[in-house]
Amino acid sequence: MSTRYVVGRARAVLDALEHLAGGLGTALFAVAVLAWLLVTVALCLVGVGFLLLPTALRMVRAVADRERARLSRWGPEIIGPGPVRGLRDPALRRELGWLLCHASLGFLLGATALTLPIDVLHDASFPLWWQLVPPSAAMPAQGFFPATDWSGAFLVCLIGLAALVITIVVLPPMAWLQAWPGIRLLSPDRGADLALRVAQLTATRAAALDAHAAELRRIERSLHDGTQNRLVAVTVLIGAAQRALDRDPLVSKEILDRAQDAAEQALAELRGVVRSILPPVLADRSLPDALTSLAAACPVTCRLDADVADRCAVSVEATAYFVVAEALTNVARHSRATAATISLRRQENRLCVEVTDDGAGGASEQDGSGLSGIRRRVEAHDGAFALTSPVGGPTVLTVSLPCGL
Amino acid sequence: MRIVIAEDDSLLREGLALLLKAEGLDVVATVANAPDFLAAVDEHGPDLAIVDVRMPPTNTDEGIVAAVEARRRQSGLAVLVLSAYVEQAFATELFTTGGSGLGYLLKERVGRVEEFLDVLRRVAGGGTAIDPEVVAQLMVRPDNRLERLSARERDVLALMAEGLGNSAIAARLVVTDGAVHKHIRSIFAKLDLAPTDSADRRVTAVLRYLKARTGAR
Repeated sequence: MSTRYVVGRARAVLDALEHLAGGLGTALFAVAVLAWLLVTVALCLVGVGFLLLPTALRMVRAVADRERARLSRWGPEIIGPGPVRGLRDPALRRELGWLLCHASLGFLLGATALTLPIDVLHDASFPLWWQLVPPSAAMPAQGFFPATDWSGAFLVCLIGLAALVITIVVLPPMAWLQAWPGIRLLSPDRGADLALRVAQLTATRAAALDAHAAELRRIERSLHDGTQNRLVAVTVLIGAAQRALDRDPLVSKEILDRAQDAAEQALAELRGVVRSILPPVLADRSLPDALTSLAAACPVTCRLDADVADRCAVSVEATAYFVVAEALTNVARHSRATAATISLRRQENRLCVEVTDDGAGGASEQDGSGLSGIRRRVEAHDGAFALTSPVGGPTVLTVSLPCGL
Repeated sequence: MRIVIAEDDSLLREGLALLLKAEGLDVVATVANAPDFLAAVDEHGPDLAIVDVRMPPTNTDEGIVAAVEARRRQSGLAVLVLSAYVEQAFATELFTTGGSGLGYLLKERVGRVEEFLDVLRRVAGGGTAIDPEVVAQLMVRPDNRLERLSARERDVLALMAEGLGNSAIAARLVVTDGAVHKHIRSIFAKLDLAPTDSADRRVTAVLRYLKARTGAR
């Protein structure tokens, strides 16, 4: 068994545990909403309930949307159907089915999943502390038998190890089982799905074209206002030097020195523009290499944690690069952070980028910080963009992109 | 000649000032944005302003807006507009409403110092200067009446549109003043324009003609 396998397995189990815990969270909501719905239905018998029914249905949609958002973070995006359109809304019926499943089975799976690791710890560490508790409490977490001597205590420890193996084996399927009703019932049915998809693609295509035009404008600006101005300065200085040549060769040499400086600046700016379009290192080496040079150039101390073996489509990598470049520009300009971390992962066929900083937080898409540009670029690739930035920090920007290969 | 320079790129601004000072011209102020430019014009009352089109904050046409305002405040102020790129649509807009003492050039023309100094003197003296690039843009569209012109007449028309006077055109084409005069009369006749010898009124007439032609398409 290689370490790679062990690490992979451990990560799968921890991921499953995280899913199940998250699922337990929405299941708690589901239980509450289900209870409220039942009360409302009961009240309908006396008439008052009809007034409360629209609110209750909106709550069903709200908790379903929460689950959709949660599932979309782990797998393919599930698009919500929008506001509730009365009792005849077909999506609503499917949501009610899901609500029943998730409030019962989902809740049970989540609760069990959380007790399993606790039981493992309890049993595995039993020989260390069994003598310290009253004999009536000295038994395995599963409560098979009371342990009265050392052999009993070690037997409990063995049970703990067995429970560990069971936990490792069952957690991933449990997570899948908990998510399954949501994936089946909360996804729009095929017709609605396609219509929504078309609407979404139309919107993201427009956004892609916008982003493209904005990018061209930026390049045009930096060429005109930077590089071209430098070159004009070179011609002006050379012109001046030529005129000075006859009058005073020393002055003309001085002017030529300045012309050379200007030419060198033009080259440096041209390099900058080229790099901002598509960094050569991205094409020649890899995305992590390109991100390394970005991280190194960032004035805030920056750590890069990249674990991707395979390449993605060029446009996807370029977008990931752009996202990190913009995010680091924001970190440097606005966050007052002392450290930032870039994490790059491949999760099945998605490329996940996360940029975290320990700054002041409070970032929003409205303040013209380039975050809306990031969102447009990401959505144009059918990717997902999320930003959490409470006042006081930390700021976490998460982007996932379909790899496109 | 007292000159104010408005250019946001510091290297270019200083380079331009250096060049003009070395030529014995009096650069009274160099500024980097439109409000400072207007203040400098008010303070120094210069003969000529050299203005970059794109300046902060929006980097679009601040320079033009400021130049128009400066000419409103100080009538007779000659303005030479410099730009990283030139557009005929922009030029015709500027000149058909503008009057005399106006120039519109690509920035890199500054490097040809001799010609640039000529342009400065011409514009400061109430004349006109239009970038050859603009003229070329105006003359690319095919037109029956333009096709009636001979090749040499088209050369003369282009130089006329740039704002050059008869003797400058003659020098550029290496012909006599009399020959240029003859060409111009012939051009005006073929284009149905009222003949005039004043260079800037001629530019306006030619521009109107070319503009009407491009505008009609």
